[in-house]
Amino acid sequence: MSLAILDAREWQQTVDLRTGQPREASGPLADMVAGLVGRRPYPGDRDATCNDWVADVALEMVERYDPRFAFLSFSEQYYSLRHSPLTEAEEQARIDGAFAAVERFARESGFTVVVVGTGELVPAAVPVDLEGLDGLVVSSNWCAHYAGLYDASAADLEKLANHPAIAQVAAKADILTLFGGTAADGERLPEHMVAVKEGHYLKGTSLRRLYKIPQPSPVIPVSNNLGPVACLTDIRPALLNLLRTDKVALALVEGVGCRQFPLPYHTCANGRGWFAYEPGDGQFLAISKGRHSIFEHNGGYRYYQDDTDDKAYPYSGFFSEMPTGTIGEAIAARSIAVGNRSMFMHMLTGCDIACECFARNLYNQGVMAVIHRQDKYAGK
Amino acid sequence: MIRCDVCERRCPLGPDTTGYCRMYHAPRGQVEERFPDRWCAYATARMETIPFYHAWPGARCLVVGTTGCNFDCRYCANAEVVKVDPAGQQDVMLDVSPEDLVAVARKRGCRAIVFSVNEPTVSLPTLERVAAVAKTAGLVMGCLTNGYATPEGTARLGAIFDCVNVSLKGLSPQFCRNYLGVPDVGPILRNIQALARTTHVEVTTPVIEGVNSHELGEMVDFLAGVGPDVAWHAFRLLPEYKMRQEDYPSVAAVGAQVEAAARGKLNYVYFHNFIGSRWVNTLCPGCGEAVIERHSLGCGGDRLQAVHLDGTACPRCGAAVALRGDPDPATAKEACS
Ligand code: SF4
Repeated sequence: MSLAILDAREWQQTVDLRTGQPREASGPLADMVAGLVGRRPYPGDRDATCNDWVADVALEMVERYDPRFAFLSFSEQYYSLRHSPLTEAEEQARIDGAFAAVERFARESGFTVVVVGTGELVPAAVPVDLEGLDGLVVSSNWCAHYAGLYDASAADLEKLANHPAIAQVAAKADILTLFGGTAADGERLPEHMVAVKEGHYLKGTSLRRLYKIPQPSPVIPVSNNLGPVACLTDIRPALLNLLRTDKVALALVEGVGCRQFPLPYHTCANGRGWFAYEPGDGQFLAISKGRHSIFEHNGGYRYYQDDTDDKAYPYSGFFSEMPTGTIGEAIAARSIAVGNRSMFMHMLTGCDIACECFARNLYNQGVMAVIHRQDKYAGK
Repeated sequence: MIRCDVCERRCPLGPDTTGYCRMYHAPRGQVEERFPDRWCAYATARMETIPFYHAWPGARCLVVGTTGCNFDCRYCANAEVVKVDPAGQQDVMLDVSPEDLVAVARKRGCRAIVFSVNEPTVSLPTLERVAAVAKTAGLVMGCLTNGYATPEGTARLGAIFDCVNVSLKGLSPQFCRNYLGVPDVGPILRNIQALARTTHVEVTTPVIEGVNSHELGEMVDFLAGVGPDVAWHAFRLLPEYKMRQEDYPSVAAVGAQVEAAARGKLNYVYFHNFIGSRWVNTLCPGCGEAVIERHSLGCGGDRLQAVHLDGTACPRCGAAVALRGDPDPATAKEACS
């Protein structure tokens, strides 16, 4: 059973991750993790110390759990650039802050840190509203570039073909062909996937004004200490190889592309054909599993259909089952995940322990720590 | 110049004069919306996320909002949408007619449309038009409100909405002035009573330790006078906006205060707005059995877990549980699937 420790500052509840039912947290590892998250309240997604929180929590976990692998995400600059009106100097300071936190983790932990920029943010143009179509359009707060389209009429498809802000309308069959899937793989794919042009975004669920948005980049930077990788799905085997000799951390620095990446890097493909990943769950999962994840996670799936009262994993966002084949599962040695991308690190990484912020639409609810494996802890 | 009769600010309005909320003017001698049919966002959610715990449990709803507000709450959670000049927001607002909005709700299989981002009184004519179409389509209408409308405005809200969650934030004039930007709570108390006579009412109180926490007992006494079945949601305050630097209230301390204040007076008391709250289940008022179970994900994320009712009765003792609407969470199928 995976345990989730929910920390709302000076108040904790431990639940069975799958059912959400309260459980007594007991044992040395649960006590260690509960103590750690209790001491380290999450400062908030756009707080200047948010990336330092990741480094601090990861360093304490390194000290107490002695992992061989760490999966880290540094996302403060992603939230701030998206949702705050920053000057260029302020933006740069946020990005510099993220890399400083990565560098501090590397220095103090002694880990070999492989850094990946998940792709640049670009200024947000006027939102695109497709709700006037006959069919149903589904996009989400954190995936504003792609939408799923269901029951499109011929008029809808013609309208989209002539829409000045639409870059691509791909039918499910085209997506299956592009990624080499069978018909059975397409269960969670929308009937059509709509992609907007650079700078445009699909308006719908985001309350706040977007100042910058991810432009899914065809290539993303990977620090050259990993060696050359052709595609983001090649990062995993290269990491597993590096783990033979080194303690390794993978640091995903969000909202940063090649242009702003301060370290020596190689580029790798961030998708296939016309499809490039937005920073977020699908991209993280592709890196973690070492294979494309579009069949499982894409911005156009009608996640709300799964949101029933018997949904498993109620504290895991839209996940209703645990992904398999993640990098954490493939590592026999101890592993941790720490990040300020909320509510999915524990699902996507498969690491023994995951500690992540629990924020909803930037509202800071606290911290969630998930313990998948209790059997590897030596006690510290 | 005329006086706006929508909320108790009763602002003067003219062709070039807007009121406090900046959402109305009077170019033709009548109160008119400046930005009709303009929406800041819409998202699919469940009634529990609003929160409504006793109205159409588990029903999928389309959550909508506009912009602007008639209050100035120090802890506004949506200040980036609500506190900015609505005119400056129009470039990112969605222009959706009532008919199209209802069509969106139906396409997504929603059973309700719930207005919850900002204050509905600042967009009342638009909401009346949406309600007219929604009722024809068989959709439920719900909203969150600060309850500061005039009696006329409140009557209009009561006519539109099948369920209303009123925020009773504090009682003292000093609190109202310093934390809400209005002179006193009188209109809100009056409107809770008026709405409870015409529609389903739940009440939410964000609790700020040491600021309004000493008033909880008095609030409970007032609500018990409205009716012991009024569901009361005590919220752990999330320090946002002008209170961002303040400490988070202690869950243990506030929880104890809420329990002490409400014991024996209200049938349905909840304490949430934080992850993992243990105070989100509905307990049978007869025997204390948990008859509806929920998960608390904090801030607009509560979810139904299980309903253990015989119709609307407790399966153990048979006592009636106050509910508006069918508790069956198997909501409408998507209209287009
Ligand atoms: S709704 Fe209230 S705040 Fe807005 S113009 Fe009318 S009286 Fe003023």
